[in-house]
Amino acid sequence: MKKVLENKTAIAIFVLPALVIYSVIVILPVIWSLYYSFYSGSPGLKWEFIGFDNFLRLFGDSNFKASLAVNLKYISIVMLGQVGMGLLLALMFYFWLKRFKNVIRTLVFFPVVLPTVAVGQLFQKIYEIQPNYGLLNSLLNALGLTGLIQPWIGQASTALGSLCVMDIWVAMGFYAVIFYGALLDIPGDVIEAAKIDGAGGLQLFRYILAPLLRAMIITCLIFSFSGTVKMFESATALTNGGPGAATRSLSMYMYNVSFTYNKVGYGSVVALFIFMLCVLGSSIIRKFDIKE
Amino acid sequence: MKKGLKSIAIKFVIICLVVIEIYPLFWMLTASLKQQSEWTSKPAYALNSGFYIQNYIQAWTRGNMNIFFKNSFICTVVSLFFIVLFTVTVSFAVTKMRWKLGEFVGKYFEFGIMIPVATALIPLFQIYSGMGLLNSRLCLIITYTAFGLSLSILLTTGYLRSFPDEIMEAAVIDGCGIYKLVWYVVVPLMKNAIVTVLVLQFFFKWNDLIFSMTFISDQKLKTVQTGLLYFQNEFGAKNWGAIFASVSMCVIPMLILYMILNKRIIEGMTAGAVKG
Amino acid sequence: MKRKVLAGILSATMMTALLTGCGNKQTSDAGGQTEAKTESAVKTESAAKTESAGGTEAAGGTDSVKPSAAEDPKLTKNMKILSIWAEDNDNGVLIKALCEKYQKEVNPNFTWDYEVVSSDNLRQKVATLVASNDLPDMFVYESGKPIVDLIEAGKLVNVSQVLKDFNCEDALNPSAVSLLKSLSGTDDIYDLPLGMNVEGFWYNKALFEQAGCQVPKTWDEFEAVLSKLKDAGIQPIACGAADKWGATRLLNAYLVRIAGPDVMAKADEGISKYTDKDYVKAAQKMQDWANAGYFGEGVNTVDMNTAGSMLMTGQAAIFYNGSWFTSNLNDASQNLAGEDGIGFFNVPVVDPYVSDQNSYSMNCGNILSFSQKNYDEATGWFMKYFAENMGDLAMEQQGSVKGYNYTVSAEGASGYTKMVLDTINNAESAFTWFEATMDNEVQNVAKDGIQTLLTGELSAEDYMKSIQEAWDMSQ
Repeated sequence: MKKVLENKTAIAIFVLPALVIYSVIVILPVIWSLYYSFYSGSPGLKWEFIGFDNFLRLFGDSNFKASLAVNLKYISIVMLGQVGMGLLLALMFYFWLKRFKNVIRTLVFFPVVLPTVAVGQLFQKIYEIQPNYGLLNSLLNALGLTGLIQPWIGQASTALGSLCVMDIWVAMGFYAVIFYGALLDIPGDVIEAAKIDGAGGLQLFRYILAPLLRAMIITCLIFSFSGTVKMFESATALTNGGPGAATRSLSMYMYNVSFTYNKVGYGSVVALFIFMLCVLGSSIIRKFDIKE
Repeated sequence: MKKGLKSIAIKFVIICLVVIEIYPLFWMLTASLKQQSEWTSKPAYALNSGFYIQNYIQAWTRGNMNIFFKNSFICTVVSLFFIVLFTVTVSFAVTKMRWKLGEFVGKYFEFGIMIPVATALIPLFQIYSGMGLLNSRLCLIITYTAFGLSLSILLTTGYLRSFPDEIMEAAVIDGCGIYKLVWYVVVPLMKNAIVTVLVLQFFFKWNDLIFSMTFISDQKLKTVQTGLLYFQNEFGAKNWGAIFASVSMCVIPMLILYMILNKRIIEGMTAGAVKG
Repeated sequence: MKRKVLAGILSATMMTALLTGCGNKQTSDAGGQTEAKTESAVKTESAAKTESAGGTEAAGGTDSVKPSAAEDPKLTKNMKILSIWAEDNDNGVLIKALCEKYQKEVNPNFTWDYEVVSSDNLRQKVATLVASNDLPDMFVYESGKPIVDLIEAGKLVNVSQVLKDFNCEDALNPSAVSLLKSLSGTDDIYDLPLGMNVEGFWYNKALFEQAGCQVPKTWDEFEAVLSKLKDAGIQPIACGAADKWGATRLLNAYLVRIAGPDVMAKADEGISKYTDKDYVKAAQKMQDWANAGYFGEGVNTVDMNTAGSMLMTGQAAIFYNGSWFTSNLNDASQNLAGEDGIGFFNVPVVDPYVSDQNSYSMNCGNILSFSQKNYDEATGWFMKYFAENMGDLAMEQQGSVKGYNYTVSAEGASGYTKMVLDTINNAESAFTWFEATMDNEVQNVAKDGIQTLLTGELSAEDYMKSIQEAWDMSQ
């Protein structure tokens, strides 16, 4: 047994090809951009070594700070929304749903498979106000709630919220299915026993389910976190960062800096920051796991 | 009495949720069959008054959709093959095989989910340009494969860790070599996890926009998503019906595929491919 | 391989030439003399130019870029073209038709690859191509600051020089040439125009009649028209603020009328500040109009296309846009207002001594540039053919003016096309758009802020302050 699993040739065959491709295509560019971060301009245009200037610049850059704030808000809302709604849905499937379990589970997973560009276009039309009311506003109109009609993605106050709703909508089915699987793994008699002991819904969740699901919740949080930190495609598709900079994330700012401002060097610094944020955030979430 | 009321309320909530998830898609399909004049004359939620297939014809013929579909399909399927192959071998090697660097290599691969894709664009462009790979399906396939590894390995290692060693031991005692062990014992048992990886990665790769936009300039090699963007610009606001038709055309294959594999996917996901 | 190395060394020397040039620029800047600044910037240009011209000769292996014969020698060439229009759309039609014609009539050895990117991604695409030194032979780009960056890096062919070498300088419309020169701030042009546009207000005649409005000549009359329309229950202006420039153009129109045509250039040169009274006043005007509901609901969700169709379908009365809008107006399926349903007027005047009625906002639209690295004689011949034939082709096929001289008559053109031609002929002076003089970063701040200015979430003072801050940062 041991001998078979210590087979060096097999390990090399298993790991090396993937390791090479991965290192060259994924890791090397990161190191490369670390090198870029010491330069001004972009390759071919005003490309000069400037030492740590790009890093210092980050601290005084109000656009960067604004994007960071947007991004953090987005992370907290969407991460909690996706995981929370997913969990709620899963609990509902498990406890309330008697028939059509499979059908509904299937339907709820649907949006996950859609292309982001398509979802963005769909929601643009849903939130539309001019020249014609979109789905949401015309429904509000039909219900007589004319006071609530507003340019959902056309004003800074509601744009980020609208974007978050879209992203939660897309992903909650995904988390629901994962949590449902985890719930199925919990032995039925544990829950039955708790019910017999007179545990109500909330107590059941707090004392029985939450501890058992803890590991899964943390995995999902990390998963969602690493997706939301990189917030880019959905915001590009729905609002393109607007209005103003109300939905401009760090990644979008980085993209702008690199390609519109032609400052790939400074863009790399922002990219490295996103990377650090991602590492830091995940390790904080992991801390909760180790505690108990 | 109270119980009956409660169950009605529950049903209502569930129906609401399902409607919220599904209605926008249904609406999209009906919208793709609307004539342009319907957008101005009727409220947005109105059903299509006829089946205006013209939208689809226009979207299909004006934009070489068949070529885009072929390209997306080739790039996606080939990269999926390599993703699965590498994922199985690597995750087996780092969880079950015994070597000093095993854990480190596993961490090294998982590290990749932290990397913002846009960082890699310019360096990758230069790498491919140097190797003369730009504007080929190969460079997309390589990129897709490399960027698909991290998440897939993360998913499968979790699954493999919870996988009992006893079965493997039995096989080894029966005289099974390492390659046979992986192929005949481990792979069949990982079926659910593999399906999950396949499906998730299929969606990610099929939906990729940023790489194909950057690396492919030949009209004949473009993928569906870039085609979609092209429609958006081409038709602007003047032809919502055609835009929705083109969006639906991209979505429908996904939905059909999902319907066919649905049971497997959900099983794979619920069977705990994503173990903490 | 050897060639590559050589080219690398040459581009390195080019860079050094550039850097020293930049140094000069900064010193004169510190002196506070703008005159000196422009002069030394131009000098830098020519220094870089000679260097890069030398570079091509060696790297390309050709003896000279000058024509080797009096007639097209039918050189074999595969031209790579990067465009933002599909081949059956807008300028794409013209480029394709021209290539086909050239291949058929002049040079059978000429072939081409046509690539389309969406206009939103043009900058990113070009940036990656520049980074890997892979610019296509001919590509669509933006005039103003974006092209200046490429010129300074020696990436672009000096088009003036080519036209002179190939003896076809008179193919271009002189006012288009002077416009291009002023936009890039150089003595020569580095691009070919793809338009000769005039901007102003398009209005729906039926709606004006319905509300009893006359075409305004002065700004006061304009304001009266707007409020009259509003009172009649008609949305006065359709403004495509989702494409941010749709809104900044309006601001610019008013600003120029109250502060003169060079107002933006002054701020860019540091003579005045973006926070000065007039600038804030113009921003305040936009916010006031938005508050008064002149732009309707959700102005930031409307893009220019939608705004245009709102005008044509009678959902709004006035729409600011350039003369390229005629292609929509000429399309009967889009223009429900009909062949004579839409009119045009220039930005109304505040004070004729500051900026008068015959001063128009003009531009050359997107432009065509040529990669210096790939430049060879065959490209030169193609450029000659392009410059000499584009004017007629555009007039025949689309009835549009592209900035080239044309020989066919415009008699058969539609009423809208003639209206534009007349307007261009009447124009005595021109001013540029809001962001033309701005650095990329300043431009982005100006464009982003306009949306929150319109929703009232950013005050006029703060808006202009943010632009000034971005300008300060970029210095």
